[in-house]
Amino acid sequence: MLEVEAVVRRFGDLTAVDGISFEIAPGETYGLLGPNGAGKTTTISMIAGLLAADSGAVRVLGEQMGPSRVAGKRHIGLVPQDLAIYPELKGRENMNFFGRLQGLGGKELATRVDEVLDLVGLTDRAGDPAKEYSGGMKRRLNIGIGLLHRPTLLILDEPTVGVDPQSRNAILESVEALSGEGMAVLYTTHYMEEAERLCDRIGIVDSGQLQAEGTRDELIRLIGGLDRVRLDGSGDLAAAADALGGLAAVEQVDADRTGLSLAVRDAPTAVAELVTRATAAGVTLADVEITRPNLEQVFLHLTGKALRD
Amino acid sequence: MRTVAAIAGVELRRFLRDRSNLFFVFVFPLILVVLIGSQFGAGSSSGRVVISGADSSLRSALVAELEEADVTVSYAAPDAASEQIARGRVDLGLELTDAAAAAFDADEDLTVVVTSSSSGGAITTRQQVDRALNSLQLRLRQEAALVGAGADPAAVDEALETAGSQVVAPSVTVTSESSVSEAFAGASGFTVGASAQVLLFVFLNSLAGSATLIQARKYRVVARTLAAPVAPVQVIGGEALGRWVIAMVQGLYIMVGTALLFGVEWGNLALSTLILAMFAAVAAGAAMVLGSALDNDSAASGLGVGLGLVLAALGGCMLPLELFPDTLATVAHFTPHAWAYEAFAEVTRRGGTLADIAVELGVLLAFAVVLLALGSVLLRRSLARAI
Ligand SMILES: Nc1ncnc2c1ncn2[C@@H]1O[C@H](COP(=O)(O)OP(=O)(O)OP(=O)(O)O)[C@@H](O)[C@H]1O
Ligand SMILES: [Mg+2]
Repeated sequence: MLEVEAVVRRFGDLTAVDGISFEIAPGETYGLLGPNGAGKTTTISMIAGLLAADSGAVRVLGEQMGPSRVAGKRHIGLVPQDLAIYPELKGRENMNFFGRLQGLGGKELATRVDEVLDLVGLTDRAGDPAKEYSGGMKRRLNIGIGLLHRPTLLILDEPTVGVDPQSRNAILESVEALSGEGMAVLYTTHYMEEAERLCDRIGIVDSGQLQAEGTRDELIRLIGGLDRVRLDGSGDLAAAADALGGLAAVEQVDADRTGLSLAVRDAPTAVAELVTRATAAGVTLADVEITRPNLEQVFLHLTGKALRD
Repeated sequence: MRTVAAIAGVELRRFLRDRSNLFFVFVFPLILVVLIGSQFGAGSSSGRVVISGADSSLRSALVAELEEADVTVSYAAPDAASEQIARGRVDLGLELTDAAAAAFDADEDLTVVVTSSSSGGAITTRQQVDRALNSLQLRLRQEAALVGAGADPAAVDEALETAGSQVVAPSVTVTSESSVSEAFAGASGFTVGASAQVLLFVFLNSLAGSATLIQARKYRVVARTLAAPVAPVQVIGGEALGRWVIAMVQGLYIMVGTALLFGVEWGNLALSTLILAMFAAVAAGAAMVLGSALDNDSAASGLGVGLGLVLAALGGCMLPLELFPDTLATVAHFTPHAWAYEAFAEVTRRGGTLADIAVELGVLLAFAVVLLALGSVLLRRSLARAI
């Protein structure tokens, strides 16, 4: 339902987005994961038709997007990274206004505003000016406004930045719920856990380019996809290394003075066998640790830098 | 259209929601109308008139009328009277020549020479004198007509006394020595102040309110608006309409408020509303230009207030345009205020018709078209900065 085709956007000498392409299927949740300045917001602005692409194209349900094109915008609910609300207007007034811009009116608008206020937990405060809201409440209002017209594609640009853990969890849960109702979601973040938790597929962005794309597992396979297991202990470590090296799940074993390091396929399943064999080989274990590769490591592998500074 | 109305509506709502606006939009203008109105004398101390000329039945009849209107009358020889007028000790001088006195006795047309001083009360006193002269002349005509028709002179006097209040005053010819007081004839002090305040505040508060355009970009709501199925032209239309409605609310509020509180007469309501509507369009265009050209909202409201005051002063909204020397009056006509001021003067004081204010309306329309066009272009460009 969303097709992004080699979009490029320059600001002066800086190429903020340098040929990004991806697609989102109906109902899919897609994550753009990348550090500050990667070009996530710029990409989203082109998708939402706010910025013109210098080259490339964006289509939403077949409609071309762009600053002077209106038709496709109907299908999109944009939740901008920075708060976009009128502080002097009440929560409900903000919703009424943006709902009208989406073509809602009359009873339909009133009902929908009530529903969304309830969804984002602002019913009690709907009559207060938005400037009197706490940071988390403002964020929730900001998100709610994007949901009013039941968009086919919801775009959330780092919705959890600067939000306390509780509100953050509430936001993630509502995204999961919306996605469960069949809404397609484009979610940008530089929190790897959020991308892992929410997204069906993830695109890793850096320096305006899509470095890799796929499901979490596909991305992890890119860097070999092996779990690390560390067995700390004493005894005949060399014998244990030989014994474990023969197992199908084990790719590599290294013995050192304090224990064994292994590269293992599907460590949670294999670990019991590893412990049994090592013990049988005469090793007394002091500690067992499994490290599964995550997107952080994928990112490090792809770009040579950490996701967060 | 619904989108345009929604955008205009939210602008008006924000304007009315702003607490500091409430004072400057709704309270302050009325205070100023009172201050300026009393300077021009409507409710102030009674007028002072010096009469030169020998005692005559004309003089007694006129003095009786003036005293009825609470005007303080003194007598002096022509030279002494001129000096008193020049020094502003009295508001007006009335010269009753012997020929005029004789004509009065003979029931013939007569001419009274009125000289205004530059005192603050001159304008109001002039109106009181005009009314006194009117009713004197009216009374003479009616008396003549009734007596001529065979009525008893004594009964005529009595009948006229009771009927007097219902009689509409006909125009009267007076020779005036002062064009200033002539210009204010027909206006109460409040009317002069009120139309000037309408112009001052409509423009000033529109310009100062342009800060909300800048805030809308800063608050990112413009970007969000453009992410909705809304074309840029609808945003521009909505902003222009919103600015215009805000200006109209301000103007109509002062017009209705002064009419109800101080009895200010706005002449033909359709015409004075038309003048306001045209001027409000000029103010809306100017506000769009300011709010699109600048990116700092407090600078815009500061500059708006400054510009609003300077243009109003220049356009005759502080010191009446009629008192401007010629060069300054020419400069004044580079402001929309001066044109609207004159259109209001024509309609509220002299019962002007649409034809009488066609030129002024045309100039205001030209101002509005140019400023709204420029404002639209600049606003369109500012939208790109709002993403
Ligand atoms: N309007 C603009 N003018 C000039 N440069 C811009 C503009 N918008 C973005 N940039 C630059 O483009 C690059 C990408 O910015 P963008 O906001 O898309 O990054 P991002 O991935 O959203 O980062 P963050 O996680 O910090 O939000 C940055 O270097 C930024 O400075
Ligand atoms: Mg961003």
